[in-house]
Amino acid sequence: MPEATTPTVAPSRPSLATAGRPRDAVVDAPATPDFDLVVVGAGPAGAAAALVAARAGLRVCLLERGPFPGAKNMYGGVIYARILDDLIPNWWDEAPVQRWVTRRATVVLTESQALTIDFRSSAWGEPPYNGATAFRPDFDAWLAGKAEAAGATVVTSTTATGLLRDGAGHICGVRTDRPDGDLTARLVVACDGVNSFLAKQAGLYHHEDPKHFTLGAKEVLALPRDEVEKRFVLSGREGADFEIIGGTRGIPGGGFIYTNLDSIAIGVVLGLDGLRKAKVRPEELIADLKRHPMIAPLVDGAQLQEYSAHLIPEAGLEMMPELSTDGMLVAGDAAAMCLAAGIWLEGVNFAIGSGIAAGETAVEAVRRGDVSDHGLAGYRRRLESNFVLRDHTKLRRAPSLVMSERVQQRYPQLTCDLVEALFTVTNPEPKQGAFRAARHHAKRSGVRLRDLARDGWTALRTYG
Amino acid sequence: MAGRPVVGVCLKWVDLRPDVDRLTGAVHRDERFHGASEADQAALEWALRMAEAWDGEVVAVSAGPPAAEALLRDCLATGVHRAVRVDLAPGAPSETVASVLADVLRDAAVVCCGDWSLDRGSGAVPAFLAGELGAAQALGLVRLEVGQPGSLVVTRRLDFGRRERLGVRTPAVLSVEGASATLRRASLAAVLAARDAVVEVAGGRPAAQHRLRPVHVRPYRPRPQARPGPDPALDPRLRLLQLTGAAVERTPPRTVVTDDADEAAELLLEQLRAWGYLT
Amino acid sequence: MSAYAGGMERWSRVSFEDRMATVDFRVGTRAHITVDGDTCRGCTTKACVTACPANLFVPTSDGGIVFNYEQCFECGTCYLVCSNEGAITWTYPDGGDGVVFHRS
Ligand SMILES: Cc1cc2nc3c(=O)[nH]c(=O)nc-3n(C[C@H](O)[C@H](O)[C@H](O)COP(=O)(O)OP(=O)(O)OC[C@H]3O[C@@H](n4cnc5c(N)ncnc54)[C@H](O)[C@@H]3O)c2cc1C
Ligand code: SF4
Ligand code: SF4
Repeated sequence: MPEATTPTVAPSRPSLATAGRPRDAVVDAPATPDFDLVVVGAGPAGAAAALVAARAGLRVCLLERGPFPGAKNMYGGVIYARILDDLIPNWWDEAPVQRWVTRRATVVLTESQALTIDFRSSAWGEPPYNGATAFRPDFDAWLAGKAEAAGATVVTSTTATGLLRDGAGHICGVRTDRPDGDLTARLVVACDGVNSFLAKQAGLYHHEDPKHFTLGAKEVLALPRDEVEKRFVLSGREGADFEIIGGTRGIPGGGFIYTNLDSIAIGVVLGLDGLRKAKVRPEELIADLKRHPMIAPLVDGAQLQEYSAHLIPEAGLEMMPELSTDGMLVAGDAAAMCLAAGIWLEGVNFAIGSGIAAGETAVEAVRRGDVSDHGLAGYRRRLESNFVLRDHTKLRRAPSLVMSERVQQRYPQLTCDLVEALFTVTNPEPKQGAFRAARHHAKRSGVRLRDLARDGWTALRTYG
Repeated sequence: MAGRPVVGVCLKWVDLRPDVDRLTGAVHRDERFHGASEADQAALEWALRMAEAWDGEVVAVSAGPPAAEALLRDCLATGVHRAVRVDLAPGAPSETVASVLADVLRDAAVVCCGDWSLDRGSGAVPAFLAGELGAAQALGLVRLEVGQPGSLVVTRRLDFGRRERLGVRTPAVLSVEGASATLRRASLAAVLAARDAVVEVAGGRPAAQHRLRPVHVRPYRPRPQARPGPDPALDPRLRLLQLTGAAVERTPPRTVVTDDADEAAELLLEQLRAWGYLT
Repeated sequence: MSAYAGGMERWSRVSFEDRMATVDFRVGTRAHITVDGDTCRGCTTKACVTACPANLFVPTSDGGIVFNYEQCFECGTCYLVCSNEGAITWTYPDGGDGVVFHRS
């Protein structure tokens, strides 16, 4: 690229350091900071926090590094938005939704078999609904628009590159990558997603382990609307959600298929540790899924429209950082609040839930004039009394159970073989008893009944 | 105008990546993905540099719908003095666009434009604009040297990789290539201030007085080309081979992977020499 | 290398270039991720090569790595799977640059 001849304004572009390396800048905290609250990241967590705080009259800046909120955000596909009931009454009339999930299937895959538990509910197709498929560039932009309408200042195309601290070491704003980019505030809410460099820089994470993360890679495949409805047996705005266990060549993780209006999303979720060892490329595993005899007819002829990838904080409570420090709160994926527990993959609702709690706590703390760690204690209390930390506490064993080698590799085979044995008619042989079949197949797939019983018990305690 | 010289810049609010439905071919446009092309951004940067060198003022104009004001606010944040949106429905012919832009830019010493817009633009607006303003026109610029007020030396691209340096006397309309400059980043304070800044709105003028009027525009279609068929005397297998070019000898592509920049450059030059592009 | 024998395969196979061409990248002028080729030469796992969903890590014949930042999802997988401290310097692109999702 031929470069300019005349000197340009050379913008200083401080860059983020890799995890954990502190890049805090010490500044004199002004008597009147630029804003009461700076929320970093206009994902669902940040938009919810900004909305709550702006409605309460705080001067709020919502900072986003993408050209618009949602531009950088990718997920599987279903939002459970009942958490918005109070905040945005009748949200379902205006939220940019693709389809309302009325069919939820849990699929156990082996190379040649598939066992599906297929649940349908027409109640989920009516207000207040249950889950909705939606595109994040649509949904996040809509939610951030609500915050803006409530008075928050949304600044896009601007990356926070570090924290500002006052002489006493309290966080008092963020540095951005724009020239003269310091933004001071009474309180910072870090909603900067799974890689949260702000939470790491604030020292809230004590260690970082690839085992705690999964990589999601997905393809959006274009298919005419009536074809989507025919293949997934849907009508109108009804949608389907398939959660897949197995089918990732033994890499801990799973897969998913969701229906949009005139496309389907298909993808895999892969434990980073397993991925690192397996030496398989993510898109090959998506190709595997698409080739599976149960899935191939669903995606037949569909055209790739967009390929995408993103990390998920998978380990729940085990990886959760400290949630606050002097002058800062952490919410959403930045605080590992995503619930990824096998049959559940929910993060947007947890992000919104924690964002709301952060917004409320911010309002309380700024009004009281105490943004110290102590003054922010209401945040954890709020999370403990609603679903965010309760679900995480209840499901704390789920991530390691779901990612275990037995659940990932042996049980899918065992279950499918067992069901196949039950339903295969081998006359003139008489039918085999279910229990005998179970013992036989458990032995064949190398599962010890003792482990099975123990995992069953863990599952019962976890999910029961 | 006797005061500070005015440098105009014209920017078009376009979809940076229109969404083409792979099934129907329909094009969906979405405001979120709109902005200024790289060439228009380069034009803005040159306008700012000129105004700095000449102690002038920059006026940014965009002819388009109200949503285009987002783009003009970005311009204000980078240091533009005045931003004007001319209300114009999308799809207006180049001459109309040029005439409404000219109404705003009568006093401009220099007007910078991108070489052509992303949405299948023809690059004709700068030419019409120069006509309207009675100004000189220089197009396809890859470099500008800003001298004393009113004097410019520009470098433009000619065919076959040649370059030409031109001295340009104002008033002039310049159209620049995207790679000619990188737009500066606006400071945070300027971005915040631009949120409430005024974007002036001017009405377009009626289209009646045009000298050129498209009577009919045919959709773009690649032209069919006549190709000699395979020799009918040959047997089917040979005809097929001739048609597909399958057994024709060709130089296989050469793949070199290296992380040594010097070596990579040397290899590229060597290959270009081998192909006869360089001597 | 297929894990499934004999499935239907009528969905269109796309080349990796075409796959990446479905994604909107606003390429900035600054390389937001850099890889220190020397550190990589001693690396035995080369985990980044297969794990990066955008396939941006290309091994060279002499054991090094060539990295291109342009078509990056900004996901973070590479720095997490990399076992060599200091091999990857990872930052976000400047505001407004980088990947823009449309329907994810
Ligand atoms: C493959 C996959 C499938 C998933 N499936 C589902 C699902 O079906 N249902 C569900 O509910 N959840 C799902 N999730 C989880 C869900 O996407 C996340 O939990 C949720 O997005 C978290 O929201 P957040 O606001 O905390 O973070 P994010 O949505 O990641 O938002 C963070 C924001 O911060 C911005 N940002 C980051 N750093 C900076 C910075 N330094 N400066 C400025 N801005 C910054 C980013 O651009 C982004 O907009 C899935 C996730 C993945 C990866
Ligand atoms: S980037 Fe890390 S994992 Fe990849 S080759 Fe270099 S040292 Fe190894
Ligand atoms: S951030 Fe993700 S897409 Fe980008 S280079 Fe690293 S692994 Fe690849």
